[in-house]
Amino acid sequence: MNGAHDLGGMHGLGPIGAEPNEPVFHEEWERRMFGLFIAAFAGGHFNVDEFRHAIERMNPAHYLESPYYEHWLHSCETLLVESGAISRKELDARVAKLEKEAK
Amino acid sequence: MVHPRHNAPLSDTALRVKALESLLVEKGLVDPQALDALIDTYENKVGPHNGARVVARAWTDPAYKRRLLEDATSAIAELGYTGIQGEDMVVVENTPEVHNVVVCTLCSCYPWPTLGLPPNWYKSAPYRSRAVIDPRGVLSEFGVAVPDTTEVRVWDSNAELRYLVLPMRPEGTEEMNENELAGLITRDSMIGTGLPKTRAAGGSAKADTQGRRK
Amino acid sequence: MPVLKADMVETLVNTGASCRADAKVAPRFRCGERIVVRNINPLHHTRLPRYVRGKRGTVERDRGVFVFPDTNAHGQGHKAQHVYSVRFTGRELWGPQASERDVLYLDLWDDYMDPV
Repeated sequence: MNGAHDLGGMHGLGPIGAEPNEPVFHEEWERRMFGLFIAAFAGGHFNVDEFRHAIERMNPAHYLESPYYEHWLHSCETLLVESGAISRKELDARVAKLEKEAK
Repeated sequence: MVHPRHNAPLSDTALRVKALESLLVEKGLVDPQALDALIDTYENKVGPHNGARVVARAWTDPAYKRRLLEDATSAIAELGYTGIQGEDMVVVENTPEVHNVVVCTLCSCYPWPTLGLPPNWYKSAPYRSRAVIDPRGVLSEFGVAVPDTTEVRVWDSNAELRYLVLPMRPEGTEEMNENELAGLITRDSMIGTGLPKTRAAGGSAKADTQGRRK
Repeated sequence: MPVLKADMVETLVNTGASCRADAKVAPRFRCGERIVVRNINPLHHTRLPRYVRGKRGTVERDRGVFVFPDTNAHGQGHKAQHVYSVRFTGRELWGPQASERDVLYLDLWDDYMDPV
């Protein structure tokens, strides 16, 4: 699809901004998201092409502004809900529960 | 400018990841200890030091270099680097006539077994958009000067081949052994957005592609 | 569905999951052949970037037979076919502003190209 991910040749997206001595993961949630994707893939819940396409289906503004592993979160949530492994309802309920506990 | 929003502690994203993990664990679909093992592998074990060994071997062993250029997957496997996102490797050689740069414009494809996980800049919109249309400008931003007479060859990893650049061996390193040479080979030199350090004390990140210091 | 356990991680990491396909499929193109990239604009998943569509290039190397993402992303099977490294000049892609010594390589499946 002709999505926002198809970036080759676009202008105006800013400086490359390489971070010196960048850590592999910047946040704990990035670590966990990395592991979750590999485990879900290894578990046969989706193939790599489905995974990429689910990222491509993100809202374009969200895609361009979000940190990288948020793309993986979106894709895994989308595919696991679409396959019926989890439901959107129980995911939202779990987020709400954790939010409450964090306060 | 397009850059990611900074996350506050226990941000929405962090909560969602926690929620996803806890649901999947509860349903018996993922094992958290497997996650821990995966994270440890890629955070602490796999990294560009692997690729540096491949390059150092190629610099010191001409027969290995030939095998590497002909069938990179097998040659890299000889050193024990195989697997996820390195199943089908291609090594491209820098020469005085050709400077190679690797990008994935569509996402973030990168040779994990030899380089580890990619840095944020490689996966972000500015590099992905510019590397194909203005490679010399991008190289210049990284401090790599390429003569007008050198061909800049950009490899967009849009399929499942994963590309590793074999940088040129810096001048004056004839006396160095493989381990010492590996210490000169930077991650960026194997992507094509950098050059190996030179032999001089402290090394030099800025040089031209002929191996001469600027 | 199998659940990945900690003691399986090392094997998984070192084995990976190649997208090469075993199928015996004849290549459509020869090395050195001139091609034109198809101008397709599908709504579905593709690994054919917009910047190369309709452009002319040269097939340099046959990389072998791989799963086709355009179908595999949508439950439509592997449709295994050859993938080639194809060379494009910077000027072909971007016009006269490009350096005459800039070149770009993409990996293109049989279904992405036509002979010139």
